[in-house]
Amino acid sequence: MGHVYRFEIYPNQHSLKNVTANENALKKWFKDFTQTEFERIFEVRYFLVETDEKIEGIHAYASEVFTDSVTETLFSSESTNSEEYHGWIKEKGFTRPFMIDIGFRPGVTDNSAHAAKEALKLLPALKKRNLNVSSGAMYFVEGIDLNPEKLQKLTYEKMANFLLHKVTVTSFDELVHNTRLKNITFPNVDITAQQMALINLDINDSELSELNSKNCWALSKEELAHIKNHYKKLERNPTDVEMEIIAQSWSEHCKHKIFSSEITYSESNLPMGVKALGEMKIPGIFKTFIRGSTLKIKEDRKLPWLISIFHDNAGIVRFDDNVDVCIKVETHNSPSALDPYGGALTGILGVNRDILGVGLGAKPIANTNVFCLAENNYFKDNDISMPLLLKNPDRIKAGVHQGVQDGGNKSGIPTVNGAFVFDRDFVGKPLVFCGTVGVMPQIENNHNTFEKGQRPGDLIVMAGGRIGKDGIHGATFSSMELVDGVPSSVVQIGDPITQKRLSDFLIEARSHGLFNSVTDNGAGGLSSSVGEMAQLTNGADIDLELALVKYPGLSPYELMVSESQERMTFSVASETIAEFLELAEQRNVEASVIGKFTDSGLLNIRYNGEKVAELSLHFLHESLLPMKLNAHFDVKTKSAHWIKKKITKKSLPGNYKEILLDLFRSPNIRSHEHLIRRYDHEVKGATLVKPFTGSSEKGFSAPSDAGVIWMKPHGGDADNAIAIACGICPKVSEYDSYLMAEYALDEAVRNAVCVGANPDEMVLVDNFCWPDPIESPRNPDALLKLSHLVRASKALYDLSISYGMPFVSGKDSMKNDFIGVTAENEKVKISVPPTLLVTAMGKVPGLKTITTSEVKSADAYIYLIGEKHLNLKSAFELSELYEDYKIEYPLPYINGKKQLDLYRTFHKSMREGLIASSHDVSDGGVLISLAEKMMGTPYGMQIELSGMKKHELTGFFFNEGAGRFVVTVNPKDAREFEDNLTGHFFTRLGKTTNDEMLAVALDGVSVLAVSGSECMDHYKIQTRELV
Amino acid sequence: MTIKRSDIKALIITGDGINCEVETAAAFREQGINAEIIHISDLISHPHRLNAAHILALPGGFSFGDEIGSGQILALKIKYSFEAELKKFINDKKLVIGICNGFQALVRLGLLPKPFETREMTLTHNDSGHFINQWVDLNVTPSLCAWTTDLEGMIISLPIRHGEGKIVFKGDEATQEKTYQSLYENGQIALSYTENVNGSYQNIAGVCDPTGRIFGLMPHPEAATSQWLYPSGKDKKDLKGFGEKIFSSAIKYCESNF
Repeated sequence: MGHVYRFEIYPNQHSLKNVTANENALKKWFKDFTQTEFERIFEVRYFLVETDEKIEGIHAYASEVFTDSVTETLFSSESTNSEEYHGWIKEKGFTRPFMIDIGFRPGVTDNSAHAAKEALKLLPALKKRNLNVSSGAMYFVEGIDLNPEKLQKLTYEKMANFLLHKVTVTSFDELVHNTRLKNITFPNVDITAQQMALINLDINDSELSELNSKNCWALSKEELAHIKNHYKKLERNPTDVEMEIIAQSWSEHCKHKIFSSEITYSESNLPMGVKALGEMKIPGIFKTFIRGSTLKIKEDRKLPWLISIFHDNAGIVRFDDNVDVCIKVETHNSPSALDPYGGALTGILGVNRDILGVGLGAKPIANTNVFCLAENNYFKDNDISMPLLLKNPDRIKAGVHQGVQDGGNKSGIPTVNGAFVFDRDFVGKPLVFCGTVGVMPQIENNHNTFEKGQRPGDLIVMAGGRIGKDGIHGATFSSMELVDGVPSSVVQIGDPITQKRLSDFLIEARSHGLFNSVTDNGAGGLSSSVGEMAQLTNGADIDLELALVKYPGLSPYELMVSESQERMTFSVASETIAEFLELAEQRNVEASVIGKFTDSGLLNIRYNGEKVAELSLHFLHESLLPMKLNAHFDVKTKSAHWIKKKITKKSLPGNYKEILLDLFRSPNIRSHEHLIRRYDHEVKGATLVKPFTGSSEKGFSAPSDAGVIWMKPHGGDADNAIAIACGICPKVSEYDSYLMAEYALDEAVRNAVCVGANPDEMVLVDNFCWPDPIESPRNPDALLKLSHLVRASKALYDLSISYGMPFVSGKDSMKNDFIGVTAENEKVKISVPPTLLVTAMGKVPGLKTITTSEVKSADAYIYLIGEKHLNLKSAFELSELYEDYKIEYPLPYINGKKQLDLYRTFHKSMREGLIASSHDVSDGGVLISLAEKMMGTPYGMQIELSGMKKHELTGFFFNEGAGRFVVTVNPKDAREFEDNLTGHFFTRLGKTTNDEMLAVALDGVSVLAVSGSECMDHYKIQTRELV
Repeated sequence: MTIKRSDIKALIITGDGINCEVETAAAFREQGINAEIIHISDLISHPHRLNAAHILALPGGFSFGDEIGSGQILALKIKYSFEAELKKFINDKKLVIGICNGFQALVRLGLLPKPFETREMTLTHNDSGHFINQWVDLNVTPSLCAWTTDLEGMIISLPIRHGEGKIVFKGDEATQEKTYQSLYENGQIALSYTENVNGSYQNIAGVCDPTGRIFGLMPHPEAATSQWLYPSGKDKKDLKGFGEKIFSSAIKYCESNF
């Protein structure tokens, strides 16, 4: 195209003096993290518009579209007032500023530009014009000791990502000439498609291995041999398209080979009290422990509400008379390490699509998210230099948070529950868990909505986003460690508006019965979605050139495996295709018919009439033999930590108040309200228990245990709700991953029970994020890592069976390691601690059952339910904080059967309205939980302890262990409440007061007094200004 | 003669990233009226469908992903597709409500605070620079607004969920003050925060046009129609919430005027 215009949006003369919050935040960030002083930062957004011919009056059109006439003004390549513009910069206080320009690299998803193009085309004068739009930001900066090279580097640190953006810095002398407005280049994609190529596998092993890594296939030696053998039998060479499909389908990410492998487990040197599992041969972790548990529970309990498990995109349960509920939790770790914002955004939009693609499509109604991150302060305070090329962990935190915020908020899905977990070993790979709950009518148009119904002869329709180079090799990439120099095509940015349109369209089309089946295009793109759906009819034919693309020049294999986002694949009958496509057009959803499902047993792919792949579905999905792996549990075989430096911590204070307040400020306990309130948690008007609670006098800053969603606004029963809760505790893994998994599962369940969910109507989701457990020279403790996996999975099996709670969905991510070099050029490997997230979803039978965590009145009795753990040393949070506190074995395990019985009786009391407030005891122990219950209210607590010795107080206050609650009960209900608990450990600790003080006495002698507001101040240490 | 409740019709616009249409329609339906969710594309193809309605609602959401400016592209889309029909709707003395993103769109369309005049008010980024979800207390000031009659004089509590809810007026300080005074004296300031939550001019949370029939507000009444939805455990009850009264006020207006 011919003409490129540049439009820059400035505040008008009345708004010019305002300094935005973002500008202040940037200054502070650079000062804190890069020791760079900026005196002034001024941010200006701009758009580039490319047209094929000059458009008269375009400045006025752009002004109407791009600016707000009340506060803004437009300066452009068409402007005649450049003097005035220089005046603005002066008015803003600049004398000789540098200008940093951040534009998108060609082909990167640019949501602002898409919206801007749509907006420009609304104007009658531009409707028929050919337009391309690109967006960008510029920053005028002035400060101490700045130069272009430094500014470029700083910009890539914070505002830009090298993989996505192009940064140019202009000095003042150039700036005055306004060259950026005269010679404007538009970031057009310029690529050429490669022809389909045959790949000769008849080469020696080392050549084969080189080919493998050159192509990013990430296939193992055995797999390569298997493929070679297959094609030998076929007497031909595979095409590049076939190899890409095979590599993608067999990636760890898609195939879950570790979870399917045969494992020989052994153990030695078990520390005192650690559960012995004995030697075992496990036919497959998933088969044995996860599906094995669920099938056993289904069989034992004859559960009528377990509708669809494991075979679809999400598990479906019937917790309501009118609608079915489904749940899925995904991780998006590697993409978030590369581009935190885009990674988390596509993570949340991706799991939303899993829900949209379950059965005939469910509507997402709630999101959850859990982040496992590191904090820059830890490295700064302890003077630890980070390996090269690792991003500042605070930047990762800000990015993933913004991604989840935009993903949920812009899609109109409330984020109702989640957690922030911090550990220095998440600095290499952050873990980003994104979950979604969906609802669907049980029956629609006389079909069970949970059943997919594609048939041979149905058309294959791809709808939503277009295909680009973005996200090629995403599936194989996330199955590899993060290594320097990855190609930029692995990065993807989500487009919430395209997905929202697709999602609205999908539900509407489903209600009209316009398609027979649907699935999402996730990892592996078309190859994976069509590949999976083709298994149900046993074949598919595709003509790749029919797929809509973002730009020309894509090769056939790229079209097949690109993970460009916001796409779903539909199976549409020829009778309804016209109506389907018409509705799509009316709803601004792009759709293209790309082929047909068949029953040929083959995946046939053509490109412009030429056959580029002919794959047997049996070979692709069922021929691969499981790996055989060994696991050995011995905690002493753990490799040395990557941080060699001795970290000094403070010593354990002598008074409990100081410990309590230290704990309240510590990363895993303190409030993240300032971040969580940026998620919309109540859109859809159905969030009954929100992330924070408390009393209206004190605002709402006390933590809730779980999110509760009302079914009525979603077409369900008026007096019905579901609770969503999570449990995660990677800090326990180093002591025993069996215990870690028990704690995670129990915490999720207990949190749900806390708010009113029925333990007899509860399901679970497991998400494993593990360090690489495959043996190799650079992974010396692989046997231990795999043994952790076995132990954690066995714990899930044992406890879920005891609780009778089935897993309905789950996912595993197995290569969460970073390999790089330090500034001293030493190799470094950072593995995440074995991390398991358990999400629980339970039915809350009746809205009156809902109970929140905060104290509701004075003069109520306070109870601890569960053991006091006086003689243990299991205060995990103290061991994080203090030099002279060490965890000691034995650690408290759970008696599953007994615990379930406790949850049942607890729930009975809740239904009878006997419990006024309930809160779980988890990170930090009993004292933290008590304080959390009172500090968001005008009430206090008088705790009278007896029957323990003074030296046992530290244990009582801070020991952790699963299965415990603190509750308040009105005295009139106490008798009945206590009767219900017969046979279980519980202690009446004292009563609530009116004085906002947490006062604890042992045998009548005061041992602690702290006010609720002091606790709150320390708890909210990072929650500065909320609004 | 008054109109029957079931004959009162509300049209609730959806599509393009609007996402509070279901709960907004439910809030109207709870009043016993006929509420229909209509996709903006369908309204563009059949703008005369506005004629049959008494109430038009622009719900909350993130139309066009809030790109360029919140509500900006939705406003352009309405302006260039059914502005004439919308003008007729307003001239026919019918009711319009814009909630959150809908309010932003009404302001950018120039319908608030004074329809069909040069724009002098806008909604911009919160002082904090980011989105916030929080329950806030609001004064329902005496005003012309037809949508707040059941709440007038009360202090109520509603959730806010926005990143761009700060009301700003055009011009220098004196001009801004003058604009505010004129709105205040006209009785167009219907709702204000009891505290500064986003930097909004004089804590304004909602304004109506000079007739009181067009109302825009940043808080979400449709997410507070039941006390079960209140944020404190103690307040959760099987009773109607403050938000419900916004809808009941409008329906009463319809009953006595149509």
